[in-house]
Amino acid sequence: MQLTAAGRPSALRSRLGAAACLLLAAGLPAAARADTPAPAPTWQFDTSGLLYGEAKRTAVLEPTARITRSFQNGQSLSGAFTVDAITGASPSGALPSGRVQTTTTPSGNVKTVQADQVPTSRFNDLRGATDLSWKVPFLRYFTATLGGHLSREKDYQSTGANGQLSVDVYHRLFTFTVGGGRNSDLVFPIHGTPVGMLDTLVMQDVARNGKHVTTRMVGLSHVMTRRWLAGVYASQTNEDGYLTEPYKVISLIDPATGYTNGQLTELRPNTRLRRDVMASSVYHFDRDVLYLSYRYYWDDWGVKSHTLDARWRKPLADGSWVQPHLRIYTQTAADFFRFGILQGDPLPPYATSDERLGPLHDVTIGATYGFHVEPWRGEWTIRGEFLEQWGDGHPASAVGAQRNINLFPPVGVGSLVVGYTVGY
Amino acid sequence: MNRKLRTFLLVLAAAVWAAATAGCAAMSVKPWDRDLMAQKSMTFRPVPHEIAVDEHIYFSKEGSLGGMTTDGGGCGCN
Repeated sequence: MQLTAAGRPSALRSRLGAAACLLLAAGLPAAARADTPAPAPTWQFDTSGLLYGEAKRTAVLEPTARITRSFQNGQSLSGAFTVDAITGASPSGALPSGRVQTTTTPSGNVKTVQADQVPTSRFNDLRGATDLSWKVPFLRYFTATLGGHLSREKDYQSTGANGQLSVDVYHRLFTFTVGGGRNSDLVFPIHGTPVGMLDTLVMQDVARNGKHVTTRMVGLSHVMTRRWLAGVYASQTNEDGYLTEPYKVISLIDPATGYTNGQLTELRPNTRLRRDVMASSVYHFDRDVLYLSYRYYWDDWGVKSHTLDARWRKPLADGSWVQPHLRIYTQTAADFFRFGILQGDPLPPYATSDERLGPLHDVTIGATYGFHVEPWRGEWTIRGEFLEQWGDGHPASAVGAQRNINLFPPVGVGSLVVGYTVGY
Repeated sequence: MNRKLRTFLLVLAAAVWAAATAGCAAMSVKPWDRDLMAQKSMTFRPVPHEIAVDEHIYFSKEGSLGGMTTDGGGCGCN
């Protein structure tokens, strides 16, 4: 008897397979979820480790562990713990000069910076953070998520609470989400709080500075077709309190030579209103999955940015997969960003030379590899990425020796993330 | 309510309305047609711990923030 090769599965078989998948559908977007029976209680453990390094600057080691308990009634409780060990140097905001610079820090140390080098401040810090999240489905179509977090480092503390409410409508093809969060933070600079727009050695009699962050979010996701999930989200964040970076300075520039000649502590407004709109898409080809997102951001400090993110997941043999990643980012400068202040000019009410508020661009490329290793039942992931960041280092406002120096030299950042996820 | 906030809410409402009406044509995606949607990879955040790492890195290197959550923990890195 001649046996025939297995052909395409029948329609009935395909649909039975689909029904089986539905029974396993935990954790998928609510809009994609159909009515499913109550699952058995489970535990899930997620761990990851980040190794991050900037060329000749900051290095970070960040292990994270998360444990999630899912209950039979559909509720889940999750807790995460993170430690950041940070060391290295960060740009102080002072400009490179055409000659050797010597400055005195608030702690009394005298620093010498070679000509053409970007001045940096050395630091070490250890940050611990924990967060809790409780997810509660109710009235069949609603899901509420409540969370809180606490983090502490040498000179910063953050406590916060947040909540989200989602509802599935139109046969669970749409999911509306609204949410909000509130952080109450404290900034306590190590050598005291410097007075903005005065010499960096001038301190004020304030040890702890409050900062509050309130976020509101609304979103809609939709199962567009059998293969395509899309969503649009918008959020607004209000910040008030101490928003200045206490360790960032701004150089005083000799208008004739362009050399630096002293420095002031930067000063930022004490309120900030941020808004963004983000569109996301997930499309399943026959085997591969394409993730695309675009975010437009703007705030009342004058920063506007565009972010485009693309990931392509390609399944490989034996259940492993690879996921290349490309991210492109560009932003405009804050209204009060400047490459130093010319001596003799009136002082502006606010000023910063922090490159993160400057006209910058960056590109990230990398890839994740997901795989299984016997006898462990969970999934391992390993990801390597490289980020290149640059800005306009030859602005029209440059004078004298500044014209011959790149005031915003490019920065390269490498990162490695190893993760392991397992459920019981 | 100031003018900027009103404009923002109007734009948002228009975007939500456009997405909702565009989706009406796709009401034929029945529960038994969601085999692909049921896969773990069919979510906006397929590898959650990587997204958390990314948000931390970009928050410390750029002047923007935002996305689809409200649960960002505070950090003195920016």
